[in-house]
Amino acid sequence: MFRRVLVANRGEIAARVIRACHALGVEAVAVYSEADAGSPHLDEADQRICIGAAHARHSYLDQEAILEAAHQTGCQALHPGYGFLSESWLFAARCRDERITFIGPEAASIRTMGDKVAARRAAVAAGLPVIPGTLAPVAGLDSVRQAASETGYPLILKAVAGGGGRGMRRVDDPAELESQWETATGEAAAAFGDGSMYVERYIEGGRHIEVQVLADRFGNVVHLGERECSVQRNHQKLIEETPSPALSPERSAAFGEMVRQAIARLGYRGAGTVEFLLDPATDQLYFLEMNTRLQVEHPVTEMTTGVDIVEWQLRIAASERLGFAQADIERRGHAIECRINAEDPEQGFRPAAGRITTLEWPATGDGDGVRVDTHLQPGYEVPPFYDSLLAKMIAWAPDRDGAIDLMLASLAATRIEGVPTTIPLHARVLDSTEFRSGVATTSTLVELLERWGWAVSPAALEEKV
Amino acid sequence: MARVTLAPIGRPQDQIATPEELAASAAAFDERRADLARNRAEVATGWGDKYIARVHELGKLTAWERISRLADPGTSPLPVGTFVNHGDRFGERKLAAPGAGVVTVFARVCDRWTMIIANDNTVASGAWFPKTPEKIERAQEMALGLSVPVIYLVDCSGLFLPEQGRTFAGATGAGHIFKKNSLLSAAGVPQIAGVFGDCIAGGGYMPIISDRVIMTERAYMVIAAAALIKGAKSQHITSHSIGGPDVHVHASACADERAPDDETALAMIRAEVAKLPGSAADYYRHGVASAAPLHDPEEIAALLPASLQMPYDTYDLLARLVDESRFWEIMPHTGREVITGIARIGGLYAGIFANQPGLFDHPAHPTEKRSGGILYREGIAKLSAFSRACESDGIPMIWMQDISGFDIGAEAERQGLLGLGSNLIYTNSTNRTPMITVILRKGSGAGYYAMAGLPYDPVLQISSPIARLGVMDGRTAAIASYNSQLDDEFEIPADTSEEQAERIRAGMSAVQEKLEADMDPYTSARRMDTDEIVDFHEIRDYLVATVEMSYQTIGRRRIKNPRIWSMHDLEILFES
Repeated sequence: MFRRVLVANRGEIAARVIRACHALGVEAVAVYSEADAGSPHLDEADQRICIGAAHARHSYLDQEAILEAAHQTGCQALHPGYGFLSESWLFAARCRDERITFIGPEAASIRTMGDKVAARRAAVAAGLPVIPGTLAPVAGLDSVRQAASETGYPLILKAVAGGGGRGMRRVDDPAELESQWETATGEAAAAFGDGSMYVERYIEGGRHIEVQVLADRFGNVVHLGERECSVQRNHQKLIEETPSPALSPERSAAFGEMVRQAIARLGYRGAGTVEFLLDPATDQLYFLEMNTRLQVEHPVTEMTTGVDIVEWQLRIAASERLGFAQADIERRGHAIECRINAEDPEQGFRPAAGRITTLEWPATGDGDGVRVDTHLQPGYEVPPFYDSLLAKMIAWAPDRDGAIDLMLASLAATRIEGVPTTIPLHARVLDSTEFRSGVATTSTLVELLERWGWAVSPAALEEKV
Repeated sequence: MARVTLAPIGRPQDQIATPEELAASAAAFDERRADLARNRAEVATGWGDKYIARVHELGKLTAWERISRLADPGTSPLPVGTFVNHGDRFGERKLAAPGAGVVTVFARVCDRWTMIIANDNTVASGAWFPKTPEKIERAQEMALGLSVPVIYLVDCSGLFLPEQGRTFAGATGAGHIFKKNSLLSAAGVPQIAGVFGDCIAGGGYMPIISDRVIMTERAYMVIAAAALIKGAKSQHITSHSIGGPDVHVHASACADERAPDDETALAMIRAEVAKLPGSAADYYRHGVASAAPLHDPEEIAALLPASLQMPYDTYDLLARLVDESRFWEIMPHTGREVITGIARIGGLYAGIFANQPGLFDHPAHPTEKRSGGILYREGIAKLSAFSRACESDGIPMIWMQDISGFDIGAEAERQGLLGLGSNLIYTNSTNRTPMITVILRKGSGAGYYAMAGLPYDPVLQISSPIARLGVMDGRTAAIASYNSQLDDEFEIPADTSEEQAERIRAGMSAVQEKLEADMDPYTSARRMDTDEIVDFHEIRDYLVATVEMSYQTIGRRRIKNPRIWSMHDLEILFES
């Protein structure tokens, strides 16, 4: 095992990784930007080093500064957390050259999974079901028609060179295909100089289901079951849980096994999450993408399996073998996570900065079934430069209703003053019929917000006003 | 610190030039690139469909069909020598010999790189034309330099007799192929031959020196064909009856196995290759896989200015050739008109030597600038030191030439550039680690020699579609030829009569035109002054292949692990 690890992140995940290091007897070095100079989690680290200015570009995203910090503090390995450089294949490759072990998969895996087309091809090759559509770009109306007859309707035309919603066109009916194709190719050719398209079935109101995997460098792979993260706003997950109410235990086990085998075929190493969309129309699960890093919502899996995912990330990086086989993994009970963000849900989720004046958590001792992952302390100043995540609250109970009730009680017992938080929203969503009955899809939260008269984003709020 | 730390290099296209400028640059080479594709397609069809049909009627496959069945599915063989004899005509009937009637390609067979040498049976039944022996010998030299197995696909009617005087008796005449067969064998390079048809006279030595010889039922090998044997007709003697598999597989033991047809023989050759040790390349990757550049090689054409006189940034070029667009520059602060350093290509370490165009500060005269693409004192020393370090460490060397020549003038002579250049020449001449040379735009004068041009035995030299090889450019040569009649500024003196001036102008432009035509890449390729013309986006493919081949065979040459490279010494000595 490494003697010292650089934790190349901030906030709650930096605190989480530091704890995992200490559990393994490893020293943790925290990095911080000028804006995070007083962050309470820095006190938990064995050493701390400033890597630059507030703007992430000049600190948490500055590859040279972080590598230099790792060398200066004599670290052997580096944990990237999530976000920032965690999915930069270039950074992973550079760490390798610098002989700083990147706690994550090989650069090549990160690169493949970071490229939508390459990822889709890899998934097909590994035997995972993908959303019906073309694997290679198609050009010309006849080819698009042919592809459309195979995918079925509704479908979506996606420009090869597109991104951020540009060059995308939804087609509900064969009669619209020609005109929509013309518009889409025209847009794409004008914007990106390339008019070729991918054709893909459009899935409405799907459910977001993902599988956590761990793989060592010796070809041993386990899955730790699925998580459902359908409660989302603008692709931002808010509530996650495991097991998914959409899957029977038998289906869940078979699905996990399929993913486990696919990951073994890919030769992947480290912790990873394979994301799927459950199509309500056909009840099929389709591969969306793979996240080659630790996920924000990993604690629900830890609560139900007893496996410390971060600890195993470190062990795998240090060439240890997985200490257990698939058969050793028992999933117990139900866990739910709520992301407590410094955002005002009644004001279009506008991110807020400011000082935390009051901070009270529910009991989180052994047997309480509640875990809080956070870097907050009373008096903490929330900086305006970064992601607004303040804390993650996780509630575990033998069954789903119990977990919901415990979460509601825990949220009620929580007091955070000084900045608005998403706690009121969580309480309302958890208690909604849609969530309670376990039928929520990725559209549900937006529908609830509309019903309650809450704007879905600051921009939407302004339109209302 | 024995780390090899590769730093990102190069800029995205949109930071190099405007979309309009990029499009204009790319368009400037469109014609050249289209010509290349068309010329290649033409060579690949040999003498054309009629002759392809004739091969098929005989129940045989063409050379290219044989190659595609030998190569691993999904891989693309990389041809060399495609344009040997391009445009030349032979014999009284002025016959063309596309590719000199032989196909030489690097191909992956059972996950190993091989050199395949295949007589083109759609060109005069695979006869050997002038330059056919030299092309085969060059392919054998590449295989020897890279230690990769050679596969001969023999289907050859003998020397093209009307031109036998040009292919027989000289130092590189046909017989030298068999000497090369022997040297390959002596050096432990595996050779496997498939005989698919005629194999007459000296041609017979080529398969027989091979470790394995497989004959199809249509094949025969004879010292002299039946046509030369008295009484052959009355005795029903055919070349096949005296030299077919019945004789050579069983009676003479000159061949090993018989095969019913081409397909079976090719499968048997693959089975033999599979028995050889696998490639060691992955061992030498040190746990890393081959990775595409971050910046697309397809962008190279757009980043080269339309005018050969205009500079570009070589880092942008290298960023489109090397893995992940990452590079460890060695000695970055001295001789900046040449760039030396280490990159991964196909996951394997390679040394890069490249010219950098543009203007640079003059090291001795702080107020002056001098142009890149020229070899000066510091740059020559840097190339020599880096070449020796690569040789010492066993790192294959890639020489990226865009070079106008050596610095000239009184100062250059006093500095002894002749001596420094000779040092570099000596170093490269005695290198045993594979060198690969790429002529990007210009390979001129002594610079072409000093940077491992073909006379210095690189295992491969490729030219881009715009590459020009020559002692000097046409204009300079015209000035040199007419120097006694020009003034100090190389202009025609004002007191020259109009008639005389016109004569000088005409003479100079004739010299210029002749030289410009000679510098065309097809002229170089036709004469075997370069091994292949390669489109910009294919340069990386050839580099990946040759670097992989350099590391394929274990135990044949010195390959140090990166901890003990002499590169580290250079880095430390040239710090700051």
